[in-house]
Amino acid sequence: MPLRGGALQENWGLDARFSGGVLDGQQRLVLRSSAATGVAASLTRPQEFAVQKAAFAAGVTVAEPLFATEDPRIWGKPFFIMRQVEGITAADRITGDPAFEPALCMIAEKLGRELALIHTIRPPRSDLAFLAPYQEVGLTQQIAGFRAYLDRHHTPRPVLEWGMRWLETHVPPTAEPVLCHHDFRTGNYMLDGGTLTAILDWEFAGWGDPHEDIGWFCCKAWRFARLDREAGGIADRTPFYRGYERESGGAIDPRRVRFWEVLANVRWAIIALQQTDRHLSGGERDLDLALTGRRATECELELLMLLDAGGNCADA
Amino acid sequence: MRDLPSGPALLALAREVLLSELMPLLPEERRADALLVARCMAIAQREAATPETSEHGFQDLYGAEADTDELLGRFARDLRIGAFENSPDRELCARAMLWRLTIAKLRQSNPEFLAANGFDQPGGVVGRAEPCPSPVSGKRSTPSPAAKSSS
Repeated sequence: MPLRGGALQENWGLDARFSGGVLDGQQRLVLRSSAATGVAASLTRPQEFAVQKAAFAAGVTVAEPLFATEDPRIWGKPFFIMRQVEGITAADRITGDPAFEPALCMIAEKLGRELALIHTIRPPRSDLAFLAPYQEVGLTQQIAGFRAYLDRHHTPRPVLEWGMRWLETHVPPTAEPVLCHHDFRTGNYMLDGGTLTAILDWEFAGWGDPHEDIGWFCCKAWRFARLDREAGGIADRTPFYRGYERESGGAIDPRRVRFWEVLANVRWAIIALQQTDRHLSGGERDLDLALTGRRATECELELLMLLDAGGNCADA
Repeated sequence: MRDLPSGPALLALAREVLLSELMPLLPEERRADALLVARCMAIAQREAATPETSEHGFQDLYGAEADTDELLGRFARDLRIGAFENSPDRELCARAMLWRLTIAKLRQSNPEFLAANGFDQPGGVVGRAEPCPSPVSGKRSTPSPAAKSSS
């Protein structure tokens, strides 16, 4: 049966029986394959499988990946299979349901630890050789990609242009690259009661600055029912940062986080516009996709609030 | 002269029927879709009731009269290259325009998000639509924790 969630991928629940081998007996699994259209930055499913395997081996809480294939004769397109994990991902519930309230602070700290574990995966890695070198996917390339997209877009986006100008004139020193999840946020992890059961959706993973993932997690777009809780709508930043710093042994630089949070807003705005392109281009007639592009303006308001709070120049 | 009720009024009524009368009849798994439909109707209703303004203050920056779409593109290109950064007045004016454009769009697409961020609320600023080149100023009210909207 199809499982909910994953705007870019299809997830199917499978009940399978194996005879012999390490999976002997009844198993509940998930088959993950690509949707009809996607966005350019997404990994292939076998690549996502390899990233998820690396994360599993690093001790990250992730559904154990089991098999992958490029062979289209089996399912019509490439796919991979992982164990099914129990829990919910619904961000509105996680951030808004009082039943989760007592556990949220602890979950924020746990998520900080999880992110630090992901960031222990560093290049070079022969199993992840398909990931583009950081020099090819760093900030300059990201901004160039965003601008190239906007040049083709039907409507000018002055706020995004202004935000990107700020980014390119405030570039922090280059960091040692780590494996970034690149979509580490509320909605992409699974909770079973008060327990974190899986980090999901590795399709955008790549080498990057570790503060990229932190800025993305704290970006206002991912706070859902609780804008006031800056760590993913579940807590303030303190427990999340504490978990990260304890696991990594390093200190988070708030200025770098802010920089990447600005970029996160630009990036999510561009993705939102691209999502609506999937509807407009005729590939996928979908109400949710049709509406997503309008969320770009929410990111633009946040950019103004981050960089022009009180009408003052935010260069200080 | 069109018949009454107006298009926006019809949309508002249809949305009310959808949310209050039809929604409870839907199976749980389709209610999220109904909320999306309601959100589309609310946006369409607001857009239909508000004519697209061509007045965003472009003449303050560019002086000449020209097509708004063309000036919007020029404005974006200028921001990309930092064209206003050497003139504090023009920079201030450009920022005020950015606020104006953004708030005008959100008033149509997601006024609840604006309100949750402290805009357009009693005691908060009504956007940031001061005429150029006066400084962008004012105090927002305290943001509300809730921001998600189905309207």
